[in-house]
Amino acid sequence: MTRARPILIAAALAALVAGGAASIAASPADTIAARQANFKKMGGAMKALKDELGGGADKAKLLAAARTLAATARTQWVLFTPGTGPSSGVKTDALPVIWTQKGAFDAASAKLVAEADKLVGIAGSGDTAAVLAQFKAVGGTCGACHKQFRAED
Amino acid sequence: MSTDTQSVKVWDPFVRVFHWSLIVLFGIAWWSGENHDMERHKQAGYAIFALVVFRVFWGFAGSRTARFAQFLKGPGAVMAYLKTHDGETPSDGHNPLGGWSVAALLAVILTITLAGLFAVDVDGIESGPLADWVSFDSGRVASEWHEAVFKAALAVIGLHILAIGYYQVLNAHNLIGPMITGKRDRGKNEVGGEAVEDVKWSPVMALIGIAGVGALTWAVMSGFRFG
Repeated sequence: MTRARPILIAAALAALVAGGAASIAASPADTIAARQANFKKMGGAMKALKDELGGGADKAKLLAAARTLAATARTQWVLFTPGTGPSSGVKTDALPVIWTQKGAFDAASAKLVAEADKLVGIAGSGDTAAVLAQFKAVGGTCGACHKQFRAED
Repeated sequence: MSTDTQSVKVWDPFVRVFHWSLIVLFGIAWWSGENHDMERHKQAGYAIFALVVFRVFWGFAGSRTARFAQFLKGPGAVMAYLKTHDGETPSDGHNPLGGWSVAALLAVILTITLAGLFAVDVDGIESGPLADWVSFDSGRVASEWHEAVFKAALAVIGLHILAIGYYQVLNAHNLIGPMITGKRDRGKNEVGGEAVEDVKWSPVMALIGIAGVGALTWAVMSGFRFG
């Protein structure tokens, strides 16, 4: 145990340095750009779902889009780091209220992830009506969050 | 018609119904768009699409004053009108300047409508009926056009209203009445002037137009996916 400690400390230090380097590298502009790219990805996935639900309802395509949505939603949440709001000087529709009401924002994000996971669960089932209902539930979380936390265009 | 008539039919019923229903529908589309009532917004949009496409058709097949060839004149004619127009002699139908204003109004409203058919909202949830033919990014671009050209349309509509106000107030020409009743009073000084016979329109052409526009609008609403 005692011999293992220096290694653990070294590993922790290395992680800290690496983490520090990463956070230095990720400027607010980079973080905001990554966020926006993720939102476009999620928007594209939502459109793909809608297109399929209104047309062929291809199970594989529905599932792929649902997975993209759920996976992107997970990575999105952590990108709302302090200092990446409008005060950063970078153009963003993210409202300052995200950081002043972080608890509500995190809850809204978690809701999106939960609803997206439910969608992944049924997207390949072939039950178009159920997929459509869950698609609308996911869409509801987009809209609810945007209403509160996103600047109107 | 008796010889003592003092009025002449200048606008056919299709031009008039088009004009007033477009105003109402534009208002509904604007209001519902602002309030994110997409169901109503789309319905108003489809109706506007049908109206404007019909009006373009009527610009080739309608009555004398409805036709583009009658009211879209070259820059020379527009300049001549600006120089000589005395506020006394009314034009037969749109005047050379007003004709281009009509063309501009039709162009902006048609552009808004066409962009709306492909538009996708920021969440990828709401979209026009033809949006599944384009990518999310293209749909977003269409959405930006939909909004930007709408602002341009407000400017053109503002000019249109100002111009009507100018004729109404400064020249004492009532342009609104004839657009409602279709008839314009003939002033004494006009007798023997430019052609002012009543406008005539073909019911066959009107039926062809209504049927064609109805079919096209239905196809657009169903996203050109049949069966």
